[in-house]
Amino acid sequence: MSEIRDSTLEGRAPKKLPKDVKVIDVDVHAHETPAALIPHCELPWRKSLEVVSKVPERYLDIPFFAPQMAVWSPPFPQSGSERRQIVTSASQMRQDLDQLGIDVGVIFPDNLLLLAALRDADYATAIARAYNRWLIDEWLGEDNGIKGAIVAPSQNPVAAAEEIRRYASHKHVAAIYLPSCCVEPLYGHRSYDPIYEAAQETDLPVMLHSVTAIFPVFPFNLNCFSTMFSAHIVSHGLSMVANLLSMMETGVPARYPKLRIGFSESGLAWVPWIMMRMDKEYKERRRELPFLTDLPSTYVRQMFFATQPIEEPENMKEMATIMSLFGGEHSVMFASDWPHHDFDHPNKVLQIPVSQETQRNILRENALRFLNMKERA
Amino acid sequence: MAAEYVVAHVDDLPSGTHKVLQVAAREIGVFNVAGRYYALPSNCLHQNGPLCRGSVSGTVEASAEAGWKPTWVREGEIIICPWHTMEFDIITGRCLAEPRRRIPTYEVTVVNSEIRVSIP
Repeated sequence: MSEIRDSTLEGRAPKKLPKDVKVIDVDVHAHETPAALIPHCELPWRKSLEVVSKVPERYLDIPFFAPQMAVWSPPFPQSGSERRQIVTSASQMRQDLDQLGIDVGVIFPDNLLLLAALRDADYATAIARAYNRWLIDEWLGEDNGIKGAIVAPSQNPVAAAEEIRRYASHKHVAAIYLPSCCVEPLYGHRSYDPIYEAAQETDLPVMLHSVTAIFPVFPFNLNCFSTMFSAHIVSHGLSMVANLLSMMETGVPARYPKLRIGFSESGLAWVPWIMMRMDKEYKERRRELPFLTDLPSTYVRQMFFATQPIEEPENMKEMATIMSLFGGEHSVMFASDWPHHDFDHPNKVLQIPVSQETQRNILRENALRFLNMKERA
Repeated sequence: MAAEYVVAHVDDLPSGTHKVLQVAAREIGVFNVAGRYYALPSNCLHQNGPLCRGSVSGTVEASAEAGWKPTWVREGEIIICPWHTMEFDIITGRCLAEPRRRIPTYEVTVVNSEIRVSIP
């Protein structure tokens, strides 16, 4: 007899994982407290973090650091906002991923999902730099399948490009994280060109990732809703839609043809919808988007999409159909979002009835291409 | 077998103009683009709109070679469908928004100052 300890993953390994596939998970989250970043942060912003570190922390919600501001709807015990499941070390992450049947995980932050909400560009840039140093020092030191996405502060694209070039050659830096929650302007704005130039030059993919917030920029002006049910759906899904539209407007995928662009934490069903809407509109308004030389869907088919939070129709065959509408067999990548409240266990994605080849693509091969990762020795 | 139809006298179709005609039970457009003649069916492949009843125009392009600067190009070479403003290359019939699709082009000849369109 052995006692089950506090891990909710223990003994719950994926049931139908193909034995020969080493799974890549393109979205897992490390918990970076303000206190943890203090030694990595430059002055005077280190002083700010010393103040912030004393502020009581809620789940993905810290004033001056991760201002979610979604405090208008009633909480319930053990609901999404009260649960606080976090991973605070690489060794804990390794253990959790082992129990999830995952070989490689790409680290994204917890609180810095809200980085773009910070309005002081120098402060935001300093926090981003501190996070990147912390990520490299505390999480990416070993050859154990823990990879990282360095954060690009949207408030200072030139500094973001410097960060990209600084860390691109690190063997465990696998991607560039573009904070998409509350970002303004949206990611098609020309001011972000230095980020895309650096990403294309260093052959690192960019991954857009949002989170829930109520904030006076589109699509986070969610005071019109009364529940987290609505706010969560809009914050993630419509942020991806808005940023994709913005990037199309200025021809980012045409102007940076080797740039690999990924979209995270919005599921998959939105992709065929916006792809078809763009194609429809483009036929009438092509001259507004002279950078494109083909239908927007042609570019969408070159982009990458993470599964989580996967839609869960009663018949998961519908997800196979949805993927087929945008060539997802070659662009969808498994993501768990571990350890967040809405994480997907590999079991769910394994319920999608696709060919073995497509399953293998989703679990590994598409991410290998997106991250440009060589096979692990 | 293609049949040839006289559609206009050259004096009636100066450079930069076009005409929409009913020929052989179909609507076609005949164009004079900088002294050369072209003809297209007046059927937009989008929603079967009367393509050639639209305006002749130029278009906007942006390329790496031009520093991604939107540039007005090909004035007089583009026909725009009056229904949903879908653009077509008068010379090749190519759809600008959907470059893998095109409408047919008809062969045009000038014999004794008569513009003749060959319709299959």
